[in-house]
This record gives sequence, structure tokens and C-alpha cells, in this order.
Amino acid sequence: MVKYIIKRLLLALLILFSVSIILYFLVRCMPMDYFDIKFASAISSGNMSEEDVLHIKALYGLDDSSFIGILKGYWSWLSGFLRGDMGQSFIFPDRVEDVIKNKMGISFGISFVSLILELIIAIPLGIKCACNQYGKLDYTATVLCMIGMAFPSFFLGNLLIKWFAVDLGWFDPMSGLVSSNLPQDASFMARMLDMLWHLVLPLTVFVILNIGSIMRYTRTNTLEILNADYIRTARAKGLSEGKVIYKHVFRNTMIPLITMLTFTLPTLFGGAMITEEVFDLPGIGQAAYKALNEGDIPLIMGYNMFIAVLTVVGVLISDIMYAIVDPRVKLA
Amino acid sequence: MAANKQDKKKHYISAKESRQIAKENSKAIKYYEKRKKRKANPDEYTAQMTDERNIVEFEDLHTYFFSDAGTVKAVNGVTFSIPAGATVGVVGESGCGKSVTSLSLMQLVQAPSGQIVSGSIRFRSSLFKRDKRGKKIPVYETYIDENGNEAIKKDAKGKPVIKRNELGGYTYEMEERVVDIAKMPVEEMRSIRGREISMIFQEPMTSLNPVFTIGNQLDEVGRLHIEGISKQKVKARSIEMLKLVGIADPEGVYKKYPHELSGGMRQRVMIAIALLCNPKLIVADEPTTALDVTIQAQILDLLREIKGKINGSIMLITHDLGVVAEMADYVVVMYAGKVIEMGTAEDIYDRPLHPYTIGLQKSKPTVDAEVDELYCIPGFVPNPINMPDYCYFRDRCEKCTKKCSGEYPELIQVSPTHSVSCYLYERQAEEK
Repeated sequence: MVKYIIKRLLLALLILFSVSIILYFLVRCMPMDYFDIKFASAISSGNMSEEDVLHIKALYGLDDSSFIGILKGYWSWLSGFLRGDMGQSFIFPDRVEDVIKNKMGISFGISFVSLILELIIAIPLGIKCACNQYGKLDYTATVLCMIGMAFPSFFLGNLLIKWFAVDLGWFDPMSGLVSSNLPQDASFMARMLDMLWHLVLPLTVFVILNIGSIMRYTRTNTLEILNADYIRTARAKGLSEGKVIYKHVFRNTMIPLITMLTFTLPTLFGGAMITEEVFDLPGIGQAAYKALNEGDIPLIMGYNMFIAVLTVVGVLISDIMYAIVDPRVKLA
Repeated sequence: MAANKQDKKKHYISAKESRQIAKENSKAIKYYEKRKKRKANPDEYTAQMTDERNIVEFEDLHTYFFSDAGTVKAVNGVTFSIPAGATVGVVGESGCGKSVTSLSLMQLVQAPSGQIVSGSIRFRSSLFKRDKRGKKIPVYETYIDENGNEAIKKDAKGKPVIKRNELGGYTYEMEERVVDIAKMPVEEMRSIRGREISMIFQEPMTSLNPVFTIGNQLDEVGRLHIEGISKQKVKARSIEMLKLVGIADPEGVYKKYPHELSGGMRQRVMIAIALLCNPKLIVADEPTTALDVTIQAQILDLLREIKGKINGSIMLITHDLGVVAEMADYVVVMYAGKVIEMGTAEDIYDRPLHPYTIGLQKSKPTVDAEVDELYCIPGFVPNPINMPDYCYFRDRCEKCTKKCSGEYPELIQVSPTHSVSCYLYERQAEEK
């Protein structure tokens, strides 16, 4: 097992190295340039010359767009990255690692709560639907889940804002995490409640968007296992239907489900770009969205490497989890 | 070419027909599912045995599958009985309804499409006696007190002590009652499954849950059916059973997972699970089909040995005539959901009457006769949807006569133990 993990970690290093090369070249090939946009007005008004901008670019190692130039840029990025220095963000006043560190918490909190909600609703619902296949509940849940899965997040988010915040006025239409009229000396409790009030709509969007896939996945797996021979054996023993389903079926359904859930690790920490942007939540997803829009190369690199690391770790954890929940799997 | 086209036309179901079938199916399924889940008065499913020596009697059992292509009459009027202490072999080719018959006995037919539609399965059951509030009546430990009277033993807290039975569980007052399993609600059926009738399945490789240890899966039965048993006693019982079925290292196997055992070992574990509560009847659904020949012989020996030990009956389902010859006292031959011939093992082996049974015997490979090619019964089993109204074997039969186009032949008694459903023997029976 230990040998296996070490082998996988070494492999992960190789994967991350390749990912970083591809990422850096792609990012450098982006048609838009942060400095060109930022100083465009200054140039047109004559306050700065083209040479000045080039000079600034050179300071960041971004002046040469030839292959060799990009390679040089990559080398300096990599040597910084290996020393734990991901560079200075262009659009935020902090260094990239600090941006990620500060914004990760809020994204993780939201994703985690929504994941728990999704699981609490989707897994029992999936099992229930499988047990009453083609019943009324099954059809209703399937149709609703399909609708939920089919919605684009920005559309659903804006729809909910329009209905519940603007029209009905139940929530703050200004979005964000804190009310603008919250007094400075509000108690901790009041702050938390205010935050929760702002999180209701984003959480709803997360749950509606993701519940479908988990529910469908649970349903298909349960259906498959319900027809297994060992479930017939369990029934032949005289076990009650509840025991058959929640012991014999559920343990087997959990195997693929856990594997699937470990893949959600990147989204758990990495935030959701579009939903965070729609609801103006100051999470890491929104930061990445802004960075992409404005060509903040160090932050884009930092964010994507962060996601890459999480993905690689997620896959490794899912392999290990597989061996834990399924006694037939041995890691070697 | 034209015939081919017509054939295709016959299998084609129009959208209208398909809707009609779906509608009828869902109606039928709803009805039967509701019936299985109802709360029933015990009198509703109490029955009377026709012969007191029998432990199970099937009478005119119909088990149908409501499929999208139409109703499949998998078991279509099966009548036979299993005498106490006997081994009854049920033989027939694949798809003739033998497994479905046995699953009907356990109420384990794959729901919701498969349902017991009519007929009865009478089983001599020993059920817990219930008091007015529906609780089981315990039997208390007694002793003779100083006055010479019988008194109930009390524990330190002053509570009466319930007598332990030979398995280490509480003793309750029992009553023997003949129940009709076909009419029983599932809830009631559960106390019969695993306790009085247990089942060994065809596929040992997939019949054990892969994520639980053997011990866990054995203990489960003990904990469920032996009330009041302690954890250690359950484990001891499970290990004892593993030893009984000839597993060399029972403590080790107890801790293992199913995938760590071979097919033969797993089938032994299945038999151990089946034996745990001393059942009256073991249903073995092709227990040796998935095993190789040497293991087959071992498992059959084991079953025979165990039958002597538990003093129960075995219903052995197989398509292997050799297995039946070795094991069974009585043989039931099934074809397309119906019993076509039954009798003692000698009757069927030495004096097979039905052309199908004769064909089966002929198609068995033998050691002494030298044949170039194994005999094979011509033709196929008819399509189970829309069965013809004449003898199902007519189109494959070498001896078929004009009369065979008439309605399906009744079972004809040719000797006290032997009966056959074929027009060829009608006269013979009348003459007697």
C-alpha cells in the first residue's frame, strides 16, 4: 500500500509538471494582455509610450512572445513555484498564494454545505426511486432532476434572483455575502445569520444543479444491485426489506458512489466560477473568473495548478477509498 | 421467404397492442403487489393438507411474468407434493419453470413483473403462538419449590427466566399450522424463509454479498431467527455449521470475504447458511451446475449426508438426470411450465413413459454405449407467450397422434406412484 502510494505520488509529480507546461503555454498564447488593456488609455492620451509598456512587461518577463521567450518565462515561473512563490497577482494587491489561501475558505464552506445537502437529499431519493422503479415518485424525481441538470448555472441563478430577490423581496437583490446596511458593530450571531440569508439562493442553485447526477447515479447503481444474486440470498434468509436495502444493497451502492464523490474534491476547494460570479460571492471561483477576464497570468497559473493538484490528489484518494470500501480491491 | 415474413409479422407487436399490454400489466402488477403487502388474518392463509405425510403440496400453481411482450406463463398449473423426509428432484430443460416453482415456494419470484397468480402452495409450518396482543408466548424455566409445586424460576431482578432451546435462543410456544404460501403476505413469509425453508442457489460465485465477511453473513441468519441468542453463541453456531459442511478451517473462513474462497467453498458456505436454523425443507436450485465435476460429487455427498442429520426434506432442482438418479426418491419432470410426468425415481428411470422423458433419457451421455452423436430432441420449446392449446410437446414428439391436437392432456395415473400427462397412456389407464 505504502509502495503504491509513493509510486502514485511520483507519477503525480510528472503529471503536474506536464500540466504546468501546457497551461503556461496556453495562458501565454491568450490574445489579451493585461498591460496592453491597462495602459491603453494612457498611451492614447500620450502619457505613456509603447516603449514604457514594453519596459513594464519586461519587468514581469512577459515582453518576449516568441517560443524561446515563453520558455524563459516558464522557467522563471517554475523556479518561483518550486520555491513556493507563485508571483504577484496583477488584479489583486496580494501574492497569488495569499489570494488562493484567503478566498479558498468561503468557496469551500459553500461547496461543502451544498455537497452535504445534495447527499442528504439525493442518496435516499435515489434508493427510494430504485426500489419503486417506474413508480410515480421515480418518474417525478427523474423529470425534476433532469430539468435541474439541464439548467445552465447562470440562467438558474439569475432566474432565482429575479423571482425571490427582486420580485418577492425575500433576499437581498444586491447579492454578495454581507448586507450593505449591516451595522459595523453587529454581533457575531447577527453577522452569521446575515451571511446565511445571503447564502440561501446560491446554495439552492448548487443543490439543484448537482442533485440530479448524484441521484441518477445512486438510482442506477441501486437498481443494478437490487437484481444481484446476493440480494436474493439476503431475502431468502428472511431479512426485512429495510435490512436488505440499507445493509446489503446500500453497502454495495456506496462503492462507486464514494469513488465519484472523491472526484468532487477539486470543485469542493476550487469553487464554482459562474455561480460565484452571478451571486457576487468573494470566493476563489470569482477570483479566477476575474483573472481569466483580465489576463492575470500569475493568478490563472496559480489557480489552475491548484485545481490540477487537487484533481491528482482526488484521484489518488479515490483509489485508496476504493480499497477501503471494497474488500475485493487490493492496491499493489 | 414468405414464411419468414409471416414469422416476423407474428413477433411484431403494434404500438396499440404494446400499450394495451403495458396497461394490463401495470394493473395486474398493482393488484398482486397490493395483495402481497396486505395485512391478513392468519385464517385467510390457513389450509389443509390433502395427505398428512406431505410437508409441501403444490396445487395448480400459476406463476406468471408480466413482460412487455405479453404474459409469460412460467409455471402453468403445477401440482406435486414433497413428502416429509424425502428428496424430490425436479428436472427439465432450461426455462421450463423449475426454478420459478422453487422461487414461488419462497415467494422470491423477481417482483414486480413476476407474480404468483393462482393456485396454492401448502406448507406445514410451525409458527409462534401469539397471545391476544399478537405477542409471542414465552416458555419459562420451572423448578420444584420446597412445597413440591412447580414454580417459575426468577432471576436476580425477579424477572421470570425464559427457557433456552437447543440453539441457545428463547423458547416460545409453537403451533403447527398448514399455511398457504401463495396467499401469505410477505411480512409473514419472512419468518418462514431461512428458518423453516432455506434455499441454496445455482451461482455460488455471486450468491454471497462481496462486501461482508462470511461470518457476518452467517451470523445474520442466527441473529434474525434465534431470538435472545448471545453474540458468542451465534458465532459458535456459525462456526459449527461451517465445520458441518466440511470446511477445514472454520475460524479462518469465518473472517474471510467471499472472494477469497473457491466456488466449491462458497457453495459450502451457502449450505451452511441454509442449515443454520435447522430448516424442515432445503430447496437446492441447481446447486452443482456452476461447479466442476469433482466438486459436484462432493457437494451432492454433503447434501445427502446433511439430509440424514437434519431429518428434513430436500427439493432438488436440476437439469442433470444423473444427479437426480443419485439423490432423489421422487422425480417430477417439467416441460414448458407444466408437470408432464412424475413418479418415484425407479418409475422415471426404469419405465419412463412420456416421449419427452424418454428423449431426455436418450440424450444423456452414457459410458457403456458407443455412439457417434448424442441423441437430441428435435425442435424447440414453444414460445412462452401465447402457448398453444394442445400438448406443448406435440410439435417435437415422434409418437404424436391425431388426438394430440386436442386440448392439453390431463395427468393420468398409470400406477399408484407414477403419473404422466400424455394421450398415449389414456387407454392403458382405463384398462386398469
